[in-house]
Amino acid sequence: MINVLTRYLTLFVLTLLVLAALSFSLAYLFPGDVLTNLTGLTPQNDMQREALARQYKLDQPYVVQFYHYLGQLLSGNWGHSFISGLPLREEIGIAMPATIELATYAMLIALIVGVPVGYYAGMRSYTPIDHTINSVSLFSYSFPVFWLALLFILVFSLELGIAPLSGRVSLLFDIPDATGFILLDILLAEDIDKGLALSDALHHMALPTLAIAIITTAAMIRMTRRSVIDVLGRPYITAARSRGLSRWQIFSRHIVRNALLPILPLMAIQITTLITNAMIVETLFSWPGIGNWLIQAIYQRDYPALRVGMLAVSTLVITLTILVDLFNRLIDPSREKYERATV
Amino acid sequence: MALLDIKNLTLEIDTGQTRVKALDKVNLTVSSGEIRALVGESGSGKSLIVSAISGALPPQWRMTADRLSWRGESLLSMSTEQRRQVMRRDIAVVFQNPVSALDPSATLGQQLEESIPDELVRGNWFWQRGQNRRKIAIGAVHKVGIKHHRHYLSAYPHQVPTDICQKFMIAMALVSQPKLLIADDPTRGMETTTKTQVLKLFTRLNQTKSLSILFVSHDLLAIASMSHTMTVLYAGQTVESGKMKHIRKRPLHPYTKALLDSAPSFRNNLPPKSTLPTLEGTIPPLQHMPIGCRLGPRCPRAQRDCVVTPVQRRIHDHTYNCHFPLHMEKL
Repeated sequence: MINVLTRYLTLFVLTLLVLAALSFSLAYLFPGDVLTNLTGLTPQNDMQREALARQYKLDQPYVVQFYHYLGQLLSGNWGHSFISGLPLREEIGIAMPATIELATYAMLIALIVGVPVGYYAGMRSYTPIDHTINSVSLFSYSFPVFWLALLFILVFSLELGIAPLSGRVSLLFDIPDATGFILLDILLAEDIDKGLALSDALHHMALPTLAIAIITTAAMIRMTRRSVIDVLGRPYITAARSRGLSRWQIFSRHIVRNALLPILPLMAIQITTLITNAMIVETLFSWPGIGNWLIQAIYQRDYPALRVGMLAVSTLVITLTILVDLFNRLIDPSREKYERATV
Repeated sequence: MALLDIKNLTLEIDTGQTRVKALDKVNLTVSSGEIRALVGESGSGKSLIVSAISGALPPQWRMTADRLSWRGESLLSMSTEQRRQVMRRDIAVVFQNPVSALDPSATLGQQLEESIPDELVRGNWFWQRGQNRRKIAIGAVHKVGIKHHRHYLSAYPHQVPTDICQKFMIAMALVSQPKLLIADDPTRGMETTTKTQVLKLFTRLNQTKSLSILFVSHDLLAIASMSHTMTVLYAGQTVESGKMKHIRKRPLHPYTKALLDSAPSFRNNLPPKSTLPTLEGTIPPLQHMPIGCRLGPRCPRAQRDCVVTPVQRRIHDHTYNCHFPLHMEKL
């Protein structure tokens, strides 16, 4: 147990170090002044420049610079945006939760819908109903997410007019930013009509969440179905059947858990796709998330923002992936297998 | 009375172009209170018979049988629910590979406790029933010769040695107090002392609880000492079947004779350093089964007639499928 935790922690820290090194080297690789790329501040005169360079240890060897850079990252001093001049930490602190919120709801829908449907299809494998589910999921899995989002905008926002086109919540509501998650913020807000605000936020959220969720759900259905079919063919299911257990007993005691175990690592892979999809959909719906924010940074050549944005997004992805993997490692008893001499 | 009665059981599988008969008109009966040995080389279809009886055949197999009945009721025409009840209470199966036949994600104790039929559990409230289940499970584990029940009941299958898994499979089979135990090579991978322990347990259960056992194995030595009757299988065909002592004394089929001769412990006059008598050749692969009597190409007594499948002949309760059995000396 301690061993496992240490191993995953080491992996996590090392990966983050590599990422930090990459982001540090970006300051040198991006065109323009290294000092500006690193801090986001444009020095007005030589004296100020020298003072800044000394402050960021730019006159020292690269290793010392990198060490200092790590310290700055950890203490939350991530530099400033070129364009807005605001500290990047604050900007990301606003943009990141919006993306996480979108991705979380999409993932929840995918789990709540995809896994049970996948189980159902797997248990009814190779029957007409299974073929139907399978083809529908393959069909929706093959949609490019941006096209699906555009289609949604066209149909639901422009033609039918039942969902707003863009944004997170109507501008009429003045919601103070407490957690960064809009639904939580509304619940925490003091003097607004919470019911109205919630329904408005949900209206805004529906289309982008659905656009991402459909693809993830389809992936989830396919993974679960495959896994269930695999488990059904295992000898221990046959053995359980020959012991005369009922269908329900076999399903609940032997199939559910064994089918879920191989899905979890695949889910970790899905997280990357999910966040990428969320970032694409954000730009289409003007959702104030990290994807939208990064695109703006690219348009405006905001190098400090790109440097930190890349680090933030990859840290998020890696944290989630490693957490899911660790969780899977902890709940799967057979993964602590060690070779045993057999006669 | 015959508990299990199988007549002309044929199992076929499609291999692309042709259809292969893996089992060709196999006959097998298990009477109540007897230990029947089912002997054959690996690949002769022993385990297929076990799967066919327990209804665990993969769907690509096509099964036909003139009769496959349990105490006079046909297992083939039974409803799924009825069949499930039979498997739950009357027939218990120990499968060949214990490690893969146990659920890797549940502890051995959970799997053992779920095999206990509800009727055997006493108590009205769920905690009483849970305790009682636990007690029955511990008793069953002790019975098959596992001492440290505390350790093994909470262990996962991959954490324990193979022979403990095998014993757990046996415990799971016996805990439902079946009428017939089908044991597919139950002592494989066990050391000699544990093997004797398990065999003794089987014999004792057979004598005290009149448990019928279909003992599938290729371990002639173990079988010969405990079983009453024997059925010999070669490449999916029943070769010879009858009382153990008759077959040992005077086998009628050339294959049975070769099989018995190849086991050194059955012969007391074997001179040292002499070669063991064996049949020429090997078991034919499933795709290239000879027509007629499948032993034909390897049989020392084979003649032209052997391309026709021999019918079952009978001398009292000793049956054999051969055109030129050993007691007919003319060739």
